[in-house]
Amino acid sequence: MVNAPVDRRGRALPGPWTGQIVQAAAKRLRSSMFLMAQKMFFDAPKILGSGCLIRGAIALGWAALAGCGPPDAGGPPGDGRPRVVATTTVVADLVRQVAGERVVVECLMPPGIDPHSYKATPRDADRLLRADLVVASGLHLEGRLAALLERLADRVPFVAVADRLPPDRLLEADGGLSDPHVWFDAALWSQAAAPVAAALAGIDPDAAVAYETAAEAYAARLHELDAAIRQRIASIPAERRVLVTAHDAFRYFGRAYGIEVVGVQGTNTTSEAGLADVNRLVELVVSRKIPAVFVETSVADRNVTALIEGAAARGHRLALGGRLYSDSLGQSGGDGETLEAALEANVARIVAGLAPGPEAVSP
Amino acid sequence: MTVAAAPILEFHDVTVAYGRRPVLWNVDLAIAEPCLFGVIGPNGAGKSTLLKAALGLVPVVGGYVRFFGAPLARVRGRVGYVPQRETVDWDFPVSVMDVVLMGTYGRLGWLRRPGRRERDLARHCLDRVGLGGLADRQIGRLSGGQQQRVFLARALAQEADVYLLDEPLAGVDVRSQEQIFQVLAAVRDEGKLVVVVHHDLRTAAEWFDRVALIDMRLVATGPTAGVLTPDNLRRTYAGRVELLEEIGRAVAERGRTP
Amino acid sequence: MMASAPTLAAWPPLVAVAAGPLDAGLTYNTLVVLAGVATVGFAAGVAGTLALLRRRPLVGDAAAHATLVGVGAAFLLTGRRDLPTLLAGALVSAVAALVVLVFLRRIARTRDDAATAIVIGVSFGAGLALLAGITARGLPGGAGLEQFLLGHTAALTAQDALLLAAVSCATVALVAVAFKEFVLVSFDDAFAAAIGRPVGLIDTALVALVAVMVVVGLPAAGAVLVTALVVIPPVAARQWTTRVGRMLLLAGLFGLAAAVAGVLASTLRPGLATGPLVVLTAAAICVVSFAVAPERGWLWRRSTLPAGEESP
Repeated sequence: MVNAPVDRRGRALPGPWTGQIVQAAAKRLRSSMFLMAQKMFFDAPKILGSGCLIRGAIALGWAALAGCGPPDAGGPPGDGRPRVVATTTVVADLVRQVAGERVVVECLMPPGIDPHSYKATPRDADRLLRADLVVASGLHLEGRLAALLERLADRVPFVAVADRLPPDRLLEADGGLSDPHVWFDAALWSQAAAPVAAALAGIDPDAAVAYETAAEAYAARLHELDAAIRQRIASIPAERRVLVTAHDAFRYFGRAYGIEVVGVQGTNTTSEAGLADVNRLVELVVSRKIPAVFVETSVADRNVTALIEGAAARGHRLALGGRLYSDSLGQSGGDGETLEAALEANVARIVAGLAPGPEAVSP
Repeated sequence: MTVAAAPILEFHDVTVAYGRRPVLWNVDLAIAEPCLFGVIGPNGAGKSTLLKAALGLVPVVGGYVRFFGAPLARVRGRVGYVPQRETVDWDFPVSVMDVVLMGTYGRLGWLRRPGRRERDLARHCLDRVGLGGLADRQIGRLSGGQQQRVFLARALAQEADVYLLDEPLAGVDVRSQEQIFQVLAAVRDEGKLVVVVHHDLRTAAEWFDRVALIDMRLVATGPTAGVLTPDNLRRTYAGRVELLEEIGRAVAERGRTP
Repeated sequence: MMASAPTLAAWPPLVAVAAGPLDAGLTYNTLVVLAGVATVGFAAGVAGTLALLRRRPLVGDAAAHATLVGVGAAFLLTGRRDLPTLLAGALVSAVAALVVLVFLRRIARTRDDAATAIVIGVSFGAGLALLAGITARGLPGGAGLEQFLLGHTAALTAQDALLLAAVSCATVALVAVAFKEFVLVSFDDAFAAAIGRPVGLIDTALVALVAVMVVVGLPAAGAVLVTALVVIPPVAARQWTTRVGRMLLLAGLFGLAAAVAGVLASTLRPGLATGPLVVLTAAAICVVSFAVAPERGWLWRRSTLPAGEESP
């Protein structure tokens, strides 16, 4: 199975990251955390009553804790442009499309990160608080950031894009919440451009008209894309039009473009799939003769591998249809750098995987 | 002049220290003949440490210990050991027979399991110590004296020529003490050396052929009556004068009885 | 990349054939998960018994918490996240943690419980920090390493199950061969040393066995839950027997039963996570043992009141 990470040219990334970690660790040790460690260091033997070994253990522990954090974010570029911090790559793309070069857009989560389980570091909190505008996806996609974002809302201009969409267009998920993966319905996501433009206009009133124009243009492009996708999905024979993925991220996609979607895990990646779920899916795949399943860039492959083996045991060859962009866009320079590109890449893979053909596409 | 054979057990200039605290200091002791030998001294005097040093269980800082003129590693099969009763968790799920069979592991090595010969030997040893019918009982359900005798049976199963016993009579009722001493005397009569770390001076005077008085160093050694004098006892148990005088008198009396 | 698929395809039909005579309700995935988890349950029970007899039941806990650092470090150093690589990393860090634990006890003269607490806290904290660092840096493939905390039992592949079964069988075989040495050292290490056994070596082997079982149990139940598989079946088994051999076997069987029952229970309804069900079943077995076992059980002791308190 594809487990080795690759760079944009498909070469396997080299192994050792130890150099970077050691560097970050060295920097961190100079910070105030080291002072706290020193204090504990000298007090510890009194508490625990033994010698240098305890000190060594504590020093090691603090070094480990201190050393593993993201590199220094550095100060703002200082070129006078407003600084917008977006939480996910999808939202960052939206802001870039509307604002162009007028603002500096920073993204909190790098490509390939799962926003459901992302935990903020103190540096992230710092960056968010010092931004001119914070744009989040909303609807609890950034589950672990909820408390932080709530605190932000009073102090920094903040907009949660999905929260501004018409509620009647939202799908329900477990626990009374809404499914947050709204960007897969291009037409629905196009309605998110206007709130972003309004928020940008709030911090940069001079360019308000420009933002509005850009937002409308982007929305129009998304509508075109929407129609194109619908057509291409319709080209898949009806009985094979089932999208099986690692987690339930594609329900909006399914509703908008007429394809049935099934995820092994639920809407949230932090829940564990049970055997009954896996068995049920194998049954579905075999009985409906679905030719391919899809993995995601930000979710582990494990469940899908088990699915493929289970189907093979019943004599049904289930191919791996490719890696879809789900909760995150791709690396820069790849085929998923913007939302439009990611949607197109996804659709290409889905169609290739599900439409009748001799071989399935490799990711 | 006959050439002297190597002593059965020899301590030469033995010093043992835990960290920086010395526990035994320059002990020179040689036991040449099989006998029932007692190691006597106050609490914390290093008596158990002496045995452990002989067995290599604690590191010896200076000097050496030899059995039959050789280091322990060469003659392990000839040395039997009974550790203190408190070192063991008696709730451990083993039976009396299982424990006694452990005495045969030395000869069996790593891979062989105890067979018929070992089981017969174990039963024989249990009979010798008077626990014949209790082979299948779990060890937690024995009295203190019975537990002590299980350990003794295990040591006997080692079929050794020298037996080192660490406080085998601690917490044992008087009747069991008599029984155990009788077994030890029988073992001595077979020509084996039996070294016993013991706490009670009265019974010591009664049973041991020779004793050594230990108080971090060797105070005196030799035949019992000659060693357990009030003077020696005073030097060993410094500070307990009245008790010593009384015991000294009792010992002297026994020494006079045939 | 896809090379592994054709070889695996040859496998499942064999398994399907073997499953033919069995109940039709057992799917391939269920069988694979059963094979993996059941063997781990048995071997974890056996290894855990040795640790319990040696009065060190928490070594499993220490090893489990320490595996996180190894998983993160293995990913960072090799860039791969297939199961054998990550488990190798987990094994190295689990063994290292146990070495530190032994070191703290013997040489730094720290108390048992304090030493265990230190090792667990420091290693787990370091592991979490490492994983957070990986996530924050956005290293490709770094997502989902924390799954090792909770396990992903339902997604065991045939390859994984094979690895688990092989390691479990090797562990049980080793214990069977060296059984009497382990019991000797666990019961009376002074005597064992006196007859010339390398007590330190055997002790280390015993602790290493537990570490191996903990690491191998990671995919089956996750780091947090695998400790339960190592500790609960031996405790339950102790209630039923007073012979070591039987206790080992019984602990293994209890682990096996918990695994099988947990896996089968999780197939009944969607949304039931498999790993936690296994542990809950083990706990249930333990509670029943405490209540019902002859002689040591609570019910038993209540029903055998002294004669004076019974009605004539």
